[in-house]
Amino acid sequence: MRDDRARGAPGGASVCLPADEQTLVPPILRAKQKICANLVWVPAATTVAASRFPQPQFDSGHTVPQTVHPPFEALVPAWADVLILALALAVTVWLAHRVRSRRWLLVFSLVCLAWFGFIRQGCICPVGAVQNVAVAAWSGGGLPWSVAALFALPLLTALLFGRVFCGAVCPLGALQDLFIITPQRVPRSVDAVLRLVPPAVLAVGLVYAINGAGYLICRTDPFVGLFRRSAPMPMFLTGAAVLLVGMVVARPYCRYFCPYGVLLEWCSRLAWRPFAITAHECINCRLCVGTCPVDAITVPRPALSDTARSGLFRRFVLMLMLAPLVVAGCVAAGWLLGAQAARAHPSVIVAERLAQTPESEMDLHPEIEAFKRTGRTPEQAAAEAAVTVARFRRGCAWAGVFVGAIMALRLLGMTRLQRRTLHEADRERCIVCGRCFAACPKNVQRSTSNAQLSNQKGDT
Amino acid sequence: MGVCVREREQEATRRDALAWLLRAGAGAVVASFAAKAAQRPTADRTVWQIDPRACIQCGRCETECVLHPSAVKCVHGYAMCGYCKLCFGYFKSDAARLDEAAENQICPTGAISRVFIEDPYFEYHIDESLCTGCGLCVKGCTHFGNGSLYLQIRHDRCTNCNTCRIAEKCPAQAISRVPASRPYLLKESLC
Repeated sequence: MRDDRARGAPGGASVCLPADEQTLVPPILRAKQKICANLVWVPAATTVAASRFPQPQFDSGHTVPQTVHPPFEALVPAWADVLILALALAVTVWLAHRVRSRRWLLVFSLVCLAWFGFIRQGCICPVGAVQNVAVAAWSGGGLPWSVAALFALPLLTALLFGRVFCGAVCPLGALQDLFIITPQRVPRSVDAVLRLVPPAVLAVGLVYAINGAGYLICRTDPFVGLFRRSAPMPMFLTGAAVLLVGMVVARPYCRYFCPYGVLLEWCSRLAWRPFAITAHECINCRLCVGTCPVDAITVPRPALSDTARSGLFRRFVLMLMLAPLVVAGCVAAGWLLGAQAARAHPSVIVAERLAQTPESEMDLHPEIEAFKRTGRTPEQAAAEAAVTVARFRRGCAWAGVFVGAIMALRLLGMTRLQRRTLHEADRERCIVCGRCFAACPKNVQRSTSNAQLSNQKGDT
Repeated sequence: MGVCVREREQEATRRDALAWLLRAGAGAVVASFAAKAAQRPTADRTVWQIDPRACIQCGRCETECVLHPSAVKCVHGYAMCGYCKLCFGYFKSDAARLDEAAENQICPTGAISRVFIEDPYFEYHIDESLCTGCGLCVKGCTHFGNGSLYLQIRHDRCTNCNTCRIAEKCPAQAISRVPASRPYLLKESLC
């Protein structure tokens, strides 16, 4: 369109061009223009354009039509969304703790995948709601109560019964669960490093959201495009890649990326009735160990000898001295990477464009065109960008404190005196898929005895 | 032996009480965080919409939306339209003739139809099923006409993502959330 302005009106036709714009403006429009002029953000060009050619009075009696705007129609009201999530959580708790059946958990996860994934199309989910809640809590702005409830319900459930949300309700988890074919054990060292990613994603995602650089956690959701059956190609490819990796490394997104999983892990650690492999007494038969796709079954550990204990204590002291270094390192990394992270913020994008673009190419970038209409100077933009970068540096440094603290706590946790006598599901790692149920001979015994009982009842 | 069992029981009770305390504390933290976030609860849901006054018609609405074709369409505010014979939202700048031939139209999909009303006035209608939201017509109409053509997110198509991909890429930051009960920012009623 830029050439248009240079060339002027096309085709030698000048049909509707008014002689004097101001004289043709009806008084009511002129009054409206005045109102608009008082509002700073209304570009002057628009208000002039609004009155360039007055609407004709039709001799033929033609009536001006009205454009029909389709209203926003939610599939279900907000309260129903919350109710459905609560019901889904309740059913999963019942299936995992009472029915104790992998098959029914799988069936229900398919139902949830269909509803929360393909029908509701993913948005808004508790994982993404973390950002909405953080932004609203930070800025004090409004938030629909339903979003706050979506955020809190799975966490409160995890406080009581463990990560049942991950087991069947979360469509992201349900989808990945279908692709687990030959889950391999992830080496402990690799696992320890990769498990630092979710806290980092959570912290950086919140820094982005609070500082107005968009919702990183939603942007990195690999499957939402699949649920909508429409997405840019990179998103589809990422989703497919995650599912392919998921064939050998079970649930890679849940274990090594999901930021909501961090909060669920914390809550699940305090669970009142955590997930139990067997409904009876564990007899340490070891049959369940290989069944867990996410390496969440902890095996018994004997009590340590005195020399081993003193070795552990030395390691504890060492880790304690290491902890401040780890945190400091993470803070430094956050501070350094903060500037890079800030490049996602609109004000930094504009300032960078202004600084890098030569004068002759200024018209090529829509960012610069939009910036010119704000009437600010490049210096103001640069100053604003500097403030934003500083905010991001601070935010990412705090994110570094967070990740560093988690790292230090995990290092210290490695030196904890752990004495276990039974096979148990790790409270943090267990994603309540129920694959171990069938492996436990005690469970099998119980279900067969139940079947016999009911048969006997039927006979009599 | 009995003393030992009692001690163990006492310890178990203590641990239990402590666990409940921690659990209640964590629950309170989650609940209070959610409550603080929703301290000014908006009863209404919100949806994404373009402010046509801020829009600079960069063309990203067509390419950035997760939907193909985009949920953004051009709408016609008839009340603002000048019914021009030479419509800058309809004709290309280098149109050889002012007729409905495809080579003269600015719309790449031919989504705008031109209907003769009376001399010299024409009415322009948009077929939303063809519109891709590229904003070429909007640019012409805004710069040289009344600006009665403008882009809006159509709520029969928009999936209302938690984060709008177009909003993230919009150079003018013209896309924001509006109450779902008033889901459009119509130019003719804005200004």
